[in-house]
Amino acid sequence: MTLAATLGSDLLRALLQGTPPGTVYALIALGFVLTYKTSGVFNLAFGAQASISAAMYYKAHTDWRWPILPALIVSVFVLAPGVGLLLERLVFRHLRTASSVAKIVVTLGLSIAVPSIFELVFQFQGVAGRTPEGIVPNGAGVYYDPFGVYPFSRNELMTMAVAVTAMLGLAALFKFSALGLQMRAVVESPRMTELNGIRADRVSALSWALSSSFAGMAGVLIAPRFNTLAAPDFFNLVVVAIAAAVLGKLVSLPRALVGGFCLGWIIALLGTFLPRWSRTQTWLRPFQENLTPSVPFLVLFGVLVFWPAIRRAREASDPLSGVDPPPSSVGSGARGASRPRFSRVIGLALLVGIGVIVFIRADTSWIFLVTQAVVMSTIYLSVTVITGLAGQISLCQGTFAAIGGFTVFQLADRHGVSVLLAAVIGAVIAAAVGAVLSLPVLRLGGVWTAVATLAFAYLFDSVLVKISWICGGGTSLLQGTRVPRPVVGPWDFADDRSFLVLTVIVFIVVAFAVTQIRSGTVGRTLSAISGSEVAAESIGISPARARVTAFAVSAFIAGLGGALLSIHQRNVNYGSNFSPFAALFWLVLVVSLGARTVQGAAQAGAAFSLFDTLILRGTFMGWILRSSKRIPEIFPINPKWRFVFFGLGTIQFARHPEGLVEHGKRQMRRRVDALRKRRTGSGGSIDDASPVSTPQPSSEPSNETDTAVVPVGETTR
Amino acid sequence: MTNVLDTQGVSKKFSGIMAVHDLSISVDAGESVGLIGPNGAGKTTFFNCVLGVLRVNAGVVRLAGDDVTEMPVHARARRGIGRTFQRIELFAESTVREHLLIAERTRRRDGGLWKDLIGRGRPRADEIAKCDEVLELLGLRDVADEPIEHLSLGQGRLVEVGRALMTDPKLLLLDEPTSGLDRQETADLAITLRAVQEHRQFAILLVEHDVEFVSSFTQRSYVLDFGQLIASGPTQDVLRDPQVRAAYLGVEEISS
Repeated sequence: MTLAATLGSDLLRALLQGTPPGTVYALIALGFVLTYKTSGVFNLAFGAQASISAAMYYKAHTDWRWPILPALIVSVFVLAPGVGLLLERLVFRHLRTASSVAKIVVTLGLSIAVPSIFELVFQFQGVAGRTPEGIVPNGAGVYYDPFGVYPFSRNELMTMAVAVTAMLGLAALFKFSALGLQMRAVVESPRMTELNGIRADRVSALSWALSSSFAGMAGVLIAPRFNTLAAPDFFNLVVVAIAAAVLGKLVSLPRALVGGFCLGWIIALLGTFLPRWSRTQTWLRPFQENLTPSVPFLVLFGVLVFWPAIRRAREASDPLSGVDPPPSSVGSGARGASRPRFSRVIGLALLVGIGVIVFIRADTSWIFLVTQAVVMSTIYLSVTVITGLAGQISLCQGTFAAIGGFTVFQLADRHGVSVLLAAVIGAVIAAAVGAVLSLPVLRLGGVWTAVATLAFAYLFDSVLVKISWICGGGTSLLQGTRVPRPVVGPWDFADDRSFLVLTVIVFIVVAFAVTQIRSGTVGRTLSAISGSEVAAESIGISPARARVTAFAVSAFIAGLGGALLSIHQRNVNYGSNFSPFAALFWLVLVVSLGARTVQGAAQAGAAFSLFDTLILRGTFMGWILRSSKRIPEIFPINPKWRFVFFGLGTIQFARHPEGLVEHGKRQMRRRVDALRKRRTGSGGSIDDASPVSTPQPSSEPSNETDTAVVPVGETTR
Repeated sequence: MTNVLDTQGVSKKFSGIMAVHDLSISVDAGESVGLIGPNGAGKTTFFNCVLGVLRVNAGVVRLAGDDVTEMPVHARARRGIGRTFQRIELFAESTVREHLLIAERTRRRDGGLWKDLIGRGRPRADEIAKCDEVLELLGLRDVADEPIEHLSLGQGRLVEVGRALMTDPKLLLLDEPTSGLDRQETADLAITLRAVQEHRQFAILLVEHDVEFVSSFTQRSYVLDFGQLIASGPTQDVLRDPQVRAAYLGVEEISS
């Protein structure tokens, strides 16, 4: 056979091979764009929605031995749209005026909470070894080969058939029904549509149901390909969807469709041809080995970096988008040192007291947990900087932390550098990576910062981790990434108690630095930018420069914390500590509890490591009842509940960006003030007396917002 | 006398539509100039071209003789353009004084990460004194420590003026400063602005719909219509110009 003929048949084979996944990607991209355009929600929980349908199908078909059709109907046509409707009605309808960044945080929380709720309700475990089945009997075993170059499995054929039918159905709905017309109108401009007497709410609810079924269908179809039912793996799907949608410029459904197909083909083409090139170009190997996971991230990252015009896609779409009242800003310096000094002293004394008791009385496992809590609190301070101060959502904090951990492993284990020095070097490297990464990300801002950092995190996860000089490569798989404990002069930190002291010192130093930055020039500058970027620029602030600083500082802290965590565990443990999905939970935890204060970070750290043992296993209850035997029956509670609690906790973030704890405190303070006022008889509170009401993000824009209130935050430009 | 602002043949196109066409204006140090015209005349577009929010398609923008056409917004701000916003833009959750403090810091390019870390990032007495001086001038001394959520719209606008003043502007661009204000507030604003301008000696370029405000406040005016300059000169004369009346005030006579 001649070379040309081989090339031709290879090409054809790659295209045929890429088509079935391409149709699924297209399906996901369609659903994603549909929600994004009808409700303005950049739905990162899309993968979670796909995963629960896939899990439901597995549960019904494999566990309960239902026939295929009813299992499919329940999972794709009942559960999926139901979840979509619920999310729209209970969550996103009330967040319509929230900023896009706040909405994205809520979807992150949901992508952690939703699969956990499902698993709790149906007692489902998405562990490895439970191979999902397709929607035709014997789908992976029977092949058809229509062109003589690539045999399609029955699963693949069915996938294409179902996906294409769904797409045609959507097209028909849009083209021929009144509802489709309304939906198209809402896509153009929800406000304009409402002014024409169509209830955008209802249309948006419907499109949520529709897109959710698309997600569900994609989940069921792709599960056999993925060979997994674990929620984190499905989270990748949303990145694939965004990549496909971005290829389609995020504005039109047909283009998203084409983008999905292109992605499928690109992956298959590279899968066919890369192995040949990498024979001579060895640096291509890591890419070749992890192709399917890495291509979407490469594409997405590339597009975001080289084509920043993409971010204007939505802003330009709704001519009436300026009508909405401005959303409250996400990040800001926490003001209000009005807390009385004595309550602060009491709090501190209590903390020190507990610390001393832990230090003296606790056994090894408690010391371990407390140390972990302190280290995690340090890492969470990096979220305080980037989200609390700069108002940016970074989803690659885990990657920065991993860079710190791996640096310590490389330098200390392989080159014999002192461990603490290696930790600092790791933090510096992380800071440098953060600064460089922020350069392209800066021009994007808002939702796109989140997406670009997510793409980077997955790029690191799927490609860079496998490179020897970064993360150890082949040998580390067998030996683990060993990290020694430091010895400084007379102190040997191999002892857990002394290491706890070290971590507490590091936490205090970092926390002090963060408060200094917050009250200093950098903090004020960042607070000004997140308050109003145009106004900040108008007084000569360069937002780009300020954000590079914020990213670098945040990455430094994360790197330092990651190094400490690895030293603590004596191993980097990348998969369980720093994977993108694990890092998602960090962000969710911190923003639910309070992203703006050191206290919030500390509480998040404590919640991460102690919530399960202390609360859910009933230990705390046992202490109150003074007997471990009298702990009520409901304990131990399934640890998944914490994903549910904190995942759903993000919903309030959109309304009260200061976090649960801080919000609770403010409410309490307000009530105490009111009570005190009533006692002294001076009448209503200050808020009642002031001429203008505070701008509260409300679901219904009220008339007074237009005239009286000083609007705060960004307007449309 | 050097021009604070000088534009030569500035043009801006939006997908084929000429929003601003070949506009050349100049503002001298210390004077107040109006920029008026009906809705959609291109006033805001021109403003944004001067500020650097929009890049011009053609033409040159000079600030105190220096070509700033290619500079970003913040660089122009540092060279002496201050501004206020039609729809107020303040920093959420900051007090009035904090607005001025950050502007002062930015102007002096004082401070950075290292200074913050060694604890020298907190506001110093001399900075606070300087802010309070401006607050006094604007009559905002009483609300200096209030969060901006508690302010009235008129006060909010004055905070914007104060914030811009802290950057020591040579030229202050006011984008419809009276929008949303009632008669009394408008009158107060005019008095305050004039007093401040006398005290600090900066030029003002004013985009405004309120004819009374413009005629009382500015010496000269430029009139735009459909992106083109249709008249310029002393404000009183310009407002009497029949072409201007036709375009801007409507064809019918207005008794005033």
